[in-house]
Amino acid sequence: MPMLESFTKYHELLSELTMREIKQRYKQSVLGYAWVILNPFFQMLVMAFVFSIIMRIPNLGVPYPIFLYAGLLPWTLFANSLVSASNSLVGNAGLITKIYFPREIFIISTIMAKIVDFLLASTIFIAFMIYYQLPINLNILWVIPIFAIQQLFTYGLSLFLAAANLFYRDIQYLLGLVILIWMYLTPVIYSTELFPEKYRWIFQLNPMAVIINAYRQVILAGGMPNLKSLGIALALSLVLLLGGYKFFKKLEGVFADIV
Amino acid sequence: MPMTENSNIAIKIDRVSKLFHRQKQRTFKELIPALLGGEKAVETFWALQDIDLEIKKGETVGIIGPNGSGKSTLLKLIAGVSKPTKGSIKVNGRIAPLIELGAGFHPELTGRENVFLNGVILGMSRKEVEGKFKQIVDFAELWDFIDQPVKHYSSGMYLRLAFAVAIHTEPEILLVDEILAVGDEGFQRKCFEKIEELRKNNVTIIMVTHALASVEKYCDRAVLLKQSRVIDFGDVKSILDIYRSAPQ
Repeated sequence: MPMLESFTKYHELLSELTMREIKQRYKQSVLGYAWVILNPFFQMLVMAFVFSIIMRIPNLGVPYPIFLYAGLLPWTLFANSLVSASNSLVGNAGLITKIYFPREIFIISTIMAKIVDFLLASTIFIAFMIYYQLPINLNILWVIPIFAIQQLFTYGLSLFLAAANLFYRDIQYLLGLVILIWMYLTPVIYSTELFPEKYRWIFQLNPMAVIINAYRQVILAGGMPNLKSLGIALALSLVLLLGGYKFFKKLEGVFADIV
Repeated sequence: MPMTENSNIAIKIDRVSKLFHRQKQRTFKELIPALLGGEKAVETFWALQDIDLEIKKGETVGIIGPNGSGKSTLLKLIAGVSKPTKGSIKVNGRIAPLIELGAGFHPELTGRENVFLNGVILGMSRKEVEGKFKQIVDFAELWDFIDQPVKHYSSGMYLRLAFAVAIHTEPEILLVDEILAVGDEGFQRKCFEKIEELRKNNVTIIMVTHALASVEKYCDRAVLLKQSRVIDFGDVKSILDIYRSAPQ
């Protein structure tokens, strides 16, 4: 199956390009990789201060910092993946005009590098869970399929964005705005229960809302995720991925002409 | 793409044409007024028309022609990075392009890391790169700097390393695009010696260049392109005569 070739036939290239992404970051600054952990941590601290102390978000069952972090970490992964994936073709113009290999490898490698960032940033979250002595149970294993759905969704969307950005560079600027609005329409800093009930159906159509709710459900509440919503999110992600892949492959032959 | 018929042919280009869509507006700010004003968003032109070429294994072919005649486009089609609009291209063998000055290099990574990165980009496995590592660095004469980030390299050092990696991928077809114009004289000589060696080993080499002297010196045959068409394809001397006598 050509869609999986990137992971089989080209796995060494994929890992080299992923390592390039990762290494370039820790080499460029003094604190290097610490930023990957510190950034979302401080972001969480500031937001936790604003929303729990100034805005006084009501009690959500768990301490607000940990509630926020459980949504902010996967959201940050999603947003960072989209931004860097949509620039990944433009940024590799030198290679695209010279040598052929499946172009989606650029997209996958940037997303994989962001996943590594996410895993590192999650260590602080785990420390928080231990500190607050949050009870967990086997339902936490649902994190794995939820994470997989998130990645399918991210990859599908990235394929569209990266190809479109080659034609119109506005995409990358527009994306920043869209991500900001999207975050406020997703229960990242608030919980679904705080959202007006008659508009809550919007979340059903927003896979990121479903995914973030599901993470919180299985990690913080120790319950089962809403399988119906998760199923819809999975179906939407697969449709998006197949469409994105087709779109990307159709345009691939002219990438080198326009980049 | 494997070829069953006539296996001594390295590249077969069959009635290939390439239409370019030149996008005039790269941003919405430019696009929207243009559309409102009734302008076309895309302008098209033929970069190559009806190209028929057959390049044999082990041949060294120079592609010459004035600027904008389609030389680099032809090379991109052979490399497979760009698809022909019409016609077909069959390539028999592993291709290595001489990537322009460190396109695959990352400035923050060390020379050593970049050798691996570039080697794998060019289609080697990590193991193969490991096996060739000593030869590559020997050739580039960069042992003293191999563990330094390449951003501290001079452009000559950059080129030496890039060339050394490309040449050690054991290509069956080597694509060279103007790159040899850079680097000091001593290294240029070394590159050409290496190219001589590859020629003896029956590697097919395609060169795009403005340096007619190197075409004369190294190529068996030459292609003259002009205004997106092949004017002539034949032995170097007669092609160069045509090129030189034609008004530019």
